[in-house]
This record gives sequence, C-alpha cells and structure tokens, in this order.
Amino acid sequence: MRDPAIAATPRGEEINGRRLLGEAVLFGRELRNAGLAVDLGAAVDFGRALAIVDVGEREQVRAAGEAVFTRRRDDIDVYNAVFDRFWRARRGGWVDERITAEKRDETAAPDDTPGEAEPTPGDERLTADQDRSGIPIPSEGEDDAGPEDTPDALTISPDAYSKFETLRHRDFDRMTPAELRDAERLVDLLEPRLERRRTRRYELHAHGRRLAPRAMFRRNLGYGGNLLEWVWRRQIKRPRPLVVLCDISGSMERHSRLLLRFIQALSAASTVRTESFVFGTRLTRVTRLLRDKDRDRALLKISDAVTDWAGGTRIGESFRDFNLRWARRTLRSSGVVIVVSDGWDRGDPRLVAVETARLRRNCHRLVWLNPLAGTPGYQPLAAGMKAAFPFVDDFLPAGTVASLERLGEILAGVRTEDTRRGSEAAAHVRGLNGDADDAAPPADWPPKAARVPNPDPTMAQPLEPRK
Amino acid sequence: MNDEAKGANLLGSTEAIQAAFRERGYITDRSIATAVFLALQLERPLLLEGEAGVGKTELAKVLAASLGTKLIRLQCYEGLDVNTAVYEWNYPRQMLEIRLLEAKGQAEHASAHDIFGPAFLIRRPLLQALEASADGEPPVLLIDEIDRADEEFEAYLLEILSDFQVTVPEIGTITAERPPRVILTSNRTREVHDALKRRCLYHWIDYPTAEKEYEIVLARVPGTPSKLAHAVVGFIHRLRGADLTKVPGIAETLDWAAALLALGANDLNAAVVDETLGVVLKYEEDIRLVRGDATKRYLAEVAAGS
Repeated sequence: MRDPAIAATPRGEEINGRRLLGEAVLFGRELRNAGLAVDLGAAVDFGRALAIVDVGEREQVRAAGEAVFTRRRDDIDVYNAVFDRFWRARRGGWVDERITAEKRDETAAPDDTPGEAEPTPGDERLTADQDRSGIPIPSEGEDDAGPEDTPDALTISPDAYSKFETLRHRDFDRMTPAELRDAERLVDLLEPRLERRRTRRYELHAHGRRLAPRAMFRRNLGYGGNLLEWVWRRQIKRPRPLVVLCDISGSMERHSRLLLRFIQALSAASTVRTESFVFGTRLTRVTRLLRDKDRDRALLKISDAVTDWAGGTRIGESFRDFNLRWARRTLRSSGVVIVVSDGWDRGDPRLVAVETARLRRNCHRLVWLNPLAGTPGYQPLAAGMKAAFPFVDDFLPAGTVASLERLGEILAGVRTEDTRRGSEAAAHVRGLNGDADDAAPPADWPPKAARVPNPDPTMAQPLEPRK
Repeated sequence: MNDEAKGANLLGSTEAIQAAFRERGYITDRSIATAVFLALQLERPLLLEGEAGVGKTELAKVLAASLGTKLIRLQCYEGLDVNTAVYEWNYPRQMLEIRLLEAKGQAEHASAHDIFGPAFLIRRPLLQALEASADGEPPVLLIDEIDRADEEFEAYLLEILSDFQVTVPEIGTITAERPPRVILTSNRTREVHDALKRRCLYHWIDYPTAEKEYEIVLARVPGTPSKLAHAVVGFIHRLRGADLTKVPGIAETLDWAAALLALGANDLNAAVVDETLGVVLKYEEDIRLVRGDATKRYLAEVAAGS
C-alpha cells in the first residue's frame, strides 16, 4: 500500500512535525467521535509516533495508532474501521497534501489527480468505506470512560424491532412510585448486610489475631531491639462482588426491573462491585448502561439495547454465553450470582443443567429468584427450572420486597448446613451425560435445596425459614 | 560503547525487532513489532493483553535477551504490597546492629542514619528496576498478570510508571537514571483500570495465523517433522473455531508438538489425538466434546484443507 510519492520522501525530513501533530489530533478526534476514550495525550503520542515510523506504510501506521489509542480489545474493531476511513480519505499518506502534491508534480506519478487528495463530503469512496466497515460505532464517547468499559450491546440488529416490541419495551423503563420505593428499600435493606470476603490484605488492628512482625520490629527499634510492644493485624474484608442475570421475557420484566434498580442504586451508593446482564433469547451485558447517572435514562438505554424482547427465553444458551465469554472477566470465584427467572425455557433442558452446574462451580453462591415460587404448592416443574434446580444454592420467591428480605439474609451469609455444593452437582452432570433420562426426576427429587424438612407440603419449600 | 546508541542500533526499527526476535525463536507479526518499537522509542510502558498462552510473558524475556539487558520480573497476586514489590527494611539486621552498637558502647552516638541506610534496605523488583539503569542499559521490567493484583497495588503502580521514582521516607527519593523498559501483561480476568492504561501503550496479542504458528512450532520444537507440524497447527486452528470452554493457546500447541515428538508420532491420527488430548485441552467438558467422532471429523477437515 505504499504510495510512490511518499516513498520518495526521506523519512522525517520534509515532514513537518507540526503538520503530523495536526493530523494526529484530527485523527484522534475522529476516534473520539467514534466512541473511543481518546485524550490529547494519546494524540500527542501518536504525533511523536508518526515521526519515527514509516508514514508511507499502512500497516506500521495502523499498528502505531492501535498501540497509542486503543485500551482494550473491543476498541480494536472500532479503531480499524475509523483508521481505514481516515487513511483512504488521506489517500494513504499522513503528510500534508501540499507536500504530497509537490512531490507528485516532481515525480509525475501518472495515475494521480490532485483532486483526489481531499475528498468532498459526497465522495463515493468515503461513503463506500463507511458502508463496508459495517461496524456499528457507538455514538457517545465521553460517557464511555468508565473503568471497566467494554462496549455493551454492540450487536444491534435493527431488524429485530417491531411496533409491538417497541410498545412492550417501553414499559420496562417506567416504574410506578411504589416500585421505586421498593427498590430503594431493598438497597437499604441489603446493602449493609452483603456478605464480605476476606481479602489478602491486612490492616493493623488492636484486636487482630495475628502478629504483624514488620510493624512490630519497626516500632520496637526504639527499645533497642527488645520486643516490648506487640502489634497485631487482621485481614481486611470486602463485600463480595455481585453478578445479576435478569430474565427479561414477558412475565419476568417487572421483577428484573426491580433487581436492576437495586443494582443501580447499589453501585451508585457503595463500593460493591456489580455486574449486570439481561437475557431473553440471548445475553446482553448492561453493566455500563446501568451506570448512567440518570437512572431512568439508564433503563431506557437498556431497553433500547436489548433486541430480544418478545423472543421467549433461552436460559441454557444465555448461561453458556455467560460462562464462556464473561465469567472469567466478571466473576472471580468469590462472587455471588443472582439469577432472576421463572425458568420457562424454550431450549434444551440438558443444556440448562450443564451450564447452570458450570455457573455454580465458578461462583461463591448461586441464588435463584423465581416469582412463581411464592405461590403455595409451587414445584419447579418448568423444564428449565427443573433442570437448573439441583445446582441452585438458594431458591427464593421474587415477588415483593418482603419476600426479598430472605435474599438479604443470603447475601449476608446467613446459612444452614451447606451440603449440596460440588459433589452432588458433578454426580448430576455425570448422570446427564451418561444415559440421559429427562423424564425421570433426579434421584434426590424433590431436591434438598430447601435443606429443611418441610412440614407443610402445600407450602413452597423455599419460603420456609432456616434454622 | 555508548549505551544509548547500542539500544537504538539493536532495535532501531520494526524490521530489526522482528529479526532480533526471530533469532531467538520468537516469531512476531508487524503490529507487535511496531508496538514494541514505539514503547522503546517513546519510553512508555507496554500493556499486553491476550488469551492465556499467546506468549505475552515470553515477549518480555525475548526483548530483554535482544537488548542484552537484565529482565526483572514482578509476578502479581492479590495482596501484593509495597513491602514485597518495592522495598523493605531488614529489621532483624537492624536489631542486630543496635545490639552491636550497644555492645561496643556506641549506642548513644549512633543516629537513625546508621540503621536506616542503604545497607539495611532490601530491594524488591520495582526498586531493583529503577536502580539497575545506573549501571548501563536500563533493564526490562516485567509486571506479570497485573489483573491478579488488587486495585490498591494498581494505584501504587501509577506513581511509579509515570515518574519512575520511589520515595523511601528514611532515605529520600530514588529516581531511575533512565527509565526501565516496562512490559505489563494481563489475562483480562478483570479489567485493568483506565488510569493505568492511559499511561501505557496497548497491544492485544491475538492467536497467530496458521503459517505463523507453523513457523513458531518449527522454531520452538526443533526436530518436528514438517508434516506433523502442519497437522498439529491445522488441528489446533480447527479447535480454536470450536465452541470450547478454553481454546488452546500457542503454549498448548508447542506442548502438544513436543509430546507427539516424544511419542515418536509422524502424523496425527485419531488414536494419537485421543491419547494426547489432555495436553491440549484442560477442561473435562472440552475433552469429552472433542474426543472420538469430533476428532475424526476435524482430522478429515484438516486433511482436506491442507
């Protein structure tokens, strides 16, 4: 892709440093418009980089810009699209057109016309490139500078909308005052009770249980090396990160909204790390959309970003997507996962079982909120729910805030004997993969999830308070 | 010999970097070489991200070898703190020194300087890296798996990576004469904070093309028959397209090639693959998925493709 005119230019001599900087800043602005978090420092770096790489060689310039401007993998596609456009618009050179033009006159390159260097807005190539790049470029750049910003919901297929869906998804961002109150109450209720995890960091503390040798030596140097004062330390504790997976299909919408509100308020108010995903037929990460300071607008954005409103639920596929793509990045083994779903699933229940098992292996605790579980006599008979049930640590009704108080206890780490982790899940998966027998319930049916003998068979088990 | 000139001469262009790396068995493409080149020229840290086993750590080692300089490595983990990353006072030795001074009857005349001097300072990797440039070529500082460290440590790194200096209260500020070449790596188990990224150049290392990977196998596992290398790389590339929990990296490719070589295999067949699949795939689900029919299908596809 080397331009003969530019190749003739001795590198770095005639190319005016200020011009390069101008180009770099211009390019930086284009990237910014395309949604990358580009600051002036990066543009200056790029200007410096252009001075030392071969500006006639496309791949070098591209790679240099990539090193300077991108900050995460997801930036790279956007970057390449913008670069492509810009490079072509510049006719493959990062030097001022006048220099190129002069050179061109001197070397009299045969197939160049001067007008080509500066494409007009209506230039065909430019529009062709834009069409060809095919990558939806996020429109707002400034808001996107959060610490963990991987673009959410990049795959937006416009054909997924219909009038009906638009009507339906508009409901999502509207909340009755009562619901708002509920969400806020939930935060007040749950936030101070979130279970905390010991970190590997220590703080000095008078009531610590371990000696702090370093600090102790230090403090006792003054006594000539006699250990007179003893210094103690203890482990610092942090709340466990929360990941919520919200089912947004029809009947679940209201409950998911409540949970999203809860997560929204929680991440705004405290240091708890939260991640949120919504799923219907597929999984969408909404963590960053949810960070919008305007909380209603955040939900609106989510409803815009999600395209699978009326498509039913595929729990298995969505969980699989989460396990493969997101679990490692958002859920280190210390996290608590909350699933909000009624378990009505159109996919293969075996997939649901396998993926739920895997999900549970990857987290500290798997909590499932099911609005139907509040009804008397409920048994998890929906195919998806039945498949997932054996792997759920805590199965709770998700109707009102009152019923969610149990969630508070769980997040606070109050629990009874925990017999079902690991081995049982593994045994169940083996059973599934051996002679899969969907019709017969697992051997321990009804599952031990409730863990407490249920005296009244007409009551849903999970409602039973634990000892 | 002038050190500045030496460093510049050795790796003064992307081509030179590619050549120097190749000489040491590290096959790179143009974009990696450009990122390294810019990091050297602009004296900026380079943050490398990529899936496990694509050669992020190896790049730092090869870079140090190419520059003929020392590699100082800091492995990150949760709870990593200043005392293990930067410096620590040698308290037992200080105690001894005090006792010694007392025994000699000089304790009254001794001052804090006598026991808080450089002799009692234990230098951890970051401080070593800052001080090492005093005697010649600045070292390569590898901060490995930064995503495993916690946010507190990341915040501390900001200071070091922008000013290349450390303040030890008892001694003063220690500044690097020439900043070390810093390589940070991350596996993306969590997102590295933006403030840190802003100070670095960034490069995402992708899986190599089949041709590149073939070259890598030949360079890294000498003695591999060409036919076997082709088959291994073809199969691995097919696996990367499959829906696996953890797709194999270059490290697995190399392990596999070495394992097959040790078994005396000249070509892949279903039996050999099934026997050695554990070298390539590390999850039971994945192995179960690939073993048997899928293996035969992949082998047929690879054979048809080559």
